[in-house]
Amino acid sequence: VRTLLKDREVHISEKKIEGPLQELEIILLENDVALQTVDAISTQMRSELTGSTKKIGSSIDNMVMDALRDALLDVLGEGFSLTSYISTHDHPVKVLFTGVNGAGKTTTIAKVAAYLKAEGYSVVIGSGDTFRAGANEQMKTHADRVGVKVIRHQEGADPSAVLYDAVEYAKAHDIDVVLADTAGRFHNRANLMNQLAKIKRVFKPDIVAYVDEAVAGNDAVIRAEEFNNAVGTDVVVLTKADMDTKGGAAISIAHTIGRPIMFLGTGQEYTNIIPFEPETLVSDLLGDE
Amino acid sequence: MLDRFGTGLKDAVKKLAGKSVIDKAAVDELVRDLQRVLIQSDVNVKLVMELTTTIKKRSLEEEPPKGMGAREHVLRIVYEELVHLMGEEVDVRLESQTILMAGLQGSGKTTTTGKLARYFQRKGLRVGVICADVFRPGAYDQLTTLCQKVNVPCYGEPGETDAVGIVTRGMEELAGTEVLIIDTQGRHALEDELIEEIIALNELSSATHRWLVIDAALGQQAREQARRFHEAIDIDGVIITKMDGTAKGGGALSAVAETGSGIVFVGSGETIEDLERFDPDGFISRLLGMGDLRALIERA
Ligand SMILES: Nc1nc2c(ncn2[C@@H]2O[C@H](COP(=O)(O)OP(=O)(O)OP(=O)(O)O)[C@@H](O)[C@H]2O)c(=O)[nH]1
Ligand SMILES: Nc1nc2c(ncn2[C@@H]2O[C@H](COP(=O)(O)OP(=O)(O)OP(=O)(O)O)[C@@H](O)[C@H]2O)c(=O)[nH]1
Ligand SMILES: [Mg+2]
Ligand SMILES: [Mg+2]
Repeated sequence: VRTLLKDREVHISEKKIEGPLQELEIILLENDVALQTVDAISTQMRSELTGSTKKIGSSIDNMVMDALRDALLDVLGEGFSLTSYISTHDHPVKVLFTGVNGAGKTTTIAKVAAYLKAEGYSVVIGSGDTFRAGANEQMKTHADRVGVKVIRHQEGADPSAVLYDAVEYAKAHDIDVVLADTAGRFHNRANLMNQLAKIKRVFKPDIVAYVDEAVAGNDAVIRAEEFNNAVGTDVVVLTKADMDTKGGAAISIAHTIGRPIMFLGTGQEYTNIIPFEPETLVSDLLGDE
Repeated sequence: MLDRFGTGLKDAVKKLAGKSVIDKAAVDELVRDLQRVLIQSDVNVKLVMELTTTIKKRSLEEEPPKGMGAREHVLRIVYEELVHLMGEEVDVRLESQTILMAGLQGSGKTTTTGKLARYFQRKGLRVGVICADVFRPGAYDQLTTLCQKVNVPCYGEPGETDAVGIVTRGMEELAGTEVLIIDTQGRHALEDELIEEIIALNELSSATHRWLVIDAALGQQAREQARRFHEAIDIDGVIITKMDGTAKGGGALSAVAETGSGIVFVGSGETIEDLERFDPDGFISRLLGMGDLRALIERA
């Protein structure tokens, strides 16, 4: 029986997988998986597949595709359930939102607030962007619309102080969750990153949620890494997934910092937020029917 | 940190410089490295392939001009094609005009509107701004705050939901201004109603310019998004924002290629002063992660 099985298998050479692998690399690149990430995944697959055996009659293309699917699922991990976290930890649970300018932090906070309210939790928002013009008004309008209290100070005030007040408010009023907004900032601005580190020391978040856009290209890797180095990241939120994108940035970011993705933002309405499902993303990316 | 990625082309050019014959293998190698660098800078993958095919073809088929070495010839072709990729040179006229801002959500339209108002005001023109964003909470507060800093009038009707109505009334109100800038809400290619809205705003305002604002970090989507905006309102210039971060802005080049326009301005910070005219050589250097390619050719 043993010899019979052997006869039906063939060894796979590096040459044979090169073609299908290169095609898949292009698919990943065209879907915004960063070059660096594609290189890493592809190198790993090449070494795992070379010298392995396959059954006679099965196609190399399918085999490489399956291996890629596994590799991507492996990179993405399990996702992260915010409600499970909240139900198993002391209240108030404090979530700090970080990220570069315009990524969608403020809108995401409004959506998460609405989502948690619908799940039966009480929420307060700390309007920690005291810098950008119109930021307070934006957060306030969102909070009013989703029916959540917002704590804010003057434009130009110390963001740490605002968020500290939001926590005090939550404690005094028995609120389950504090969602803290921060001003958008770039990872290469040392003073702003130091400010964020200070905010973190004062606010003492249970979860640092890093927000980036699904349409970001190669820079997604660099900034995810730098934010993670500077203040740490526990979970990732990917916004603007409705912009006809397959979400390659999710792969880049997860591969770079190894943190789970919590939500996808899929539009500008408060309901346009979905808990992240790795399988769905990988199917979309690989063009499954 | 940046050097970790940026050395690709520098090495390739060095390799080229060390070779005694520039044959097909040498060109292939250079082209492969160039592809990687451009893709890493977020230039559209298909566009990169087209560009490098042209470079390869020209390098192997064109005779170097008399007195020019093969190496210099190839580098010059690379440089020429990259300059071509930067698009048309767009001149900014200091005269009466209406500018319609367009772009994806969060790309930097409102901030750039403030910066442009400042730019034209500095040049001695009377500037007015209209907030036609009827969707984003705080949009009017954001724009008026920016405009107040530089004493530019800003027309808006917070609470109103009809952008066309606002622009109609705003144009009357600001009739005396020379440069009128219309800020619009963010939208993307799949939002048909919003694309219809910006078509209406363009028709109504008879805008002199329709500038597409692109985040320097935008990836492969830039091409398709730009195509749709161009189809709708005939984009005649691209503005790249957030170049003070580490993103390379390759997406903006995809947008330039798609719209047949050029890059007008570059945004490089959050304050109203952080706006620069586009400098192609500086941009190419950053894109390739290496020093001045033109100077290098001259030395080759
Ligand atoms: N299409 C789409 N737009 C989104 C999504 N999330 C946010 N936006 C829009 O993106 C723009 C920027 O969002 P904000 O929430 O202000 O982003 P931010 O990160 O808080 O920005 P700063 O505070 O200025 O750094 C707004 O117009 C939002 O409506 C999304 O999932 N899909
Ligand atoms: N660092 C930096 N930040 C910028 C630049 N341009 C814009 N921003 C920031 O990017 C974020 C989004 O800018 P906005 O001007 O609100 O973008 P928008 O396109 O008007 O957004 P929507 O109206 O929601 O579509 C804000 O935090 C701005 O301060 C830039 O050149 N550099
Ligand atoms: Mg914000
Ligand atoms: Mg705006």
